[in-house]
Amino acid sequence: MKIIKSLLVGASLALVASITQAASSGNTLASVDPEADRLAMQSFFQKRFPQVPLDDYVNGIYSLDAGSREQWEEIEEFPPYEFDIEEGEILFNTAFANGKSYAGCFANAGIGIRQNFPRWDESQGKIVTLELAINQCREANGEKKLGWKKGKIAQISAYMAYTSRDNVFDVQIPNDEAKAAYLDGKQSFYTRRGQLNMSCANCHIAGANILIRADLPGPTLGHVTHFPVFRSKWGELGTLQRRYGGCQKNVRGVPQKTQGEKFRNLEFFQTYMSNGLVVNGPGARK
Amino acid sequence: MKKTISLVAALMMISGVVAAHPFNEAFNEQRAMYGKGHSFTWDGQTYITDHPEEVAAAAEANAANATKLLASAKAKYAEVMAVDFGWTLTKNLLKSSNKALEAGDFRKSMNISAQAEYHSRMGIAQYHQSQTEWIMAVPE
Ligand code: HEC
Repeated sequence: MKIIKSLLVGASLALVASITQAASSGNTLASVDPEADRLAMQSFFQKRFPQVPLDDYVNGIYSLDAGSREQWEEIEEFPPYEFDIEEGEILFNTAFANGKSYAGCFANAGIGIRQNFPRWDESQGKIVTLELAINQCREANGEKKLGWKKGKIAQISAYMAYTSRDNVFDVQIPNDEAKAAYLDGKQSFYTRRGQLNMSCANCHIAGANILIRADLPGPTLGHVTHFPVFRSKWGELGTLQRRYGGCQKNVRGVPQKTQGEKFRNLEFFQTYMSNGLVVNGPGARK
Repeated sequence: MKKTISLVAALMMISGVVAAHPFNEAFNEQRAMYGKGHSFTWDGQTYITDHPEEVAAAAEANAANATKLLASAKAKYAEVMAVDFGWTLTKNLLKSSNKALEAGDFRKSMNISAQAEYHSRMGIAQYHQSQTEWIMAVPE
């Protein structure tokens, strides 16, 4: 019993120690400094994995785990999402019943703009993700909303990401309301949930490239850059927030609402953390 | 070796749910090591490692008590869902408890309700802790 107990304490100290190095400030609106957070996150990963160049984090777990990288590179030679990009392009260019199309809803007619999402929308007073903007565009033109997690919305999003490849993520925080949304997303990221009582950070910062049960979580840096993703496990394309729900279920928590305020703010925080990395979506994952 | 976090560490995180208070810490530790029904001394008093829900479920097994516990567990579930911190297994526990109640297996129903209510109480505790504790998890 004694041994078990000291093991427990030892293990938990080890976790705390690795977490506390990862640096950054601010848990109130007055003190939060997103740019300092972002730099601290980068420097945490660069110290922990000095051999990994910063721009390689867009490749997720494959930037850290040489073992699975080779397999993945083979998959990417004949990308399983190619069909979805083509399908997405067709959908994107198909006119609505009123004769208009998606191009009319976006800056630069929707081409090469993935890196600016999610964005703070002043008139709506909330964070708008690319998928939300797609559905809002449909509704504004008298069309029905698409389902959030897969299928057509993911295909359109994949095409829009594809036209943005190599553009640098540049999510902006223009005012205090946007900063509050960022802070809310940051809180979500560090909040433990579910029966396993784990936060995103437990797995994707402290636990990055450490086996947690049978899984190997990747670094949060670069998490968003390659979405939507064709996942072998799904056998199809899925959106980032589909994955959020999956990770919350994995810790035996009831997932939060797809495209609800919490997930949109979380996506905003995560994307801000990846500012400076390039868009490389859509991607392929196990 | 380098890539393995033991299951022990994961367990530690679980008992961390409501560990802020020293009594809770002691309780969680005793519970984790000895399971339920174990007595221990803390600050001169003797305690048992049972959760309050388990104590309630030890009442006489009859239709009235089983109905009451299930209603209470359902209300707690609504409460945890309202703050968006529900756990995944709880809903099915409530269903199983209801089934057992209908089948007249009151003891079984009461035990399952206790478990469901415990989940929801812990989820609510997580919600409250999340308001302040997440800060300590943010890298310095
Ligand atoms: C129990 C550990 C665990 C927790 C907690 C967890 N995840 Fe994950 N997550 C994983 C694993 C394992 C994978 C698959 C490996 C990978 O790609 O990271 C994954 C994958 C992901 C991916 C896809 C990565 C990619 O490259 O395609 C995203 C995005 C993600 N998680 C976000 C989150 C967010 C946000 C949270 C908190 C709400 C969270 N995760 C909580 C373990 C976890």
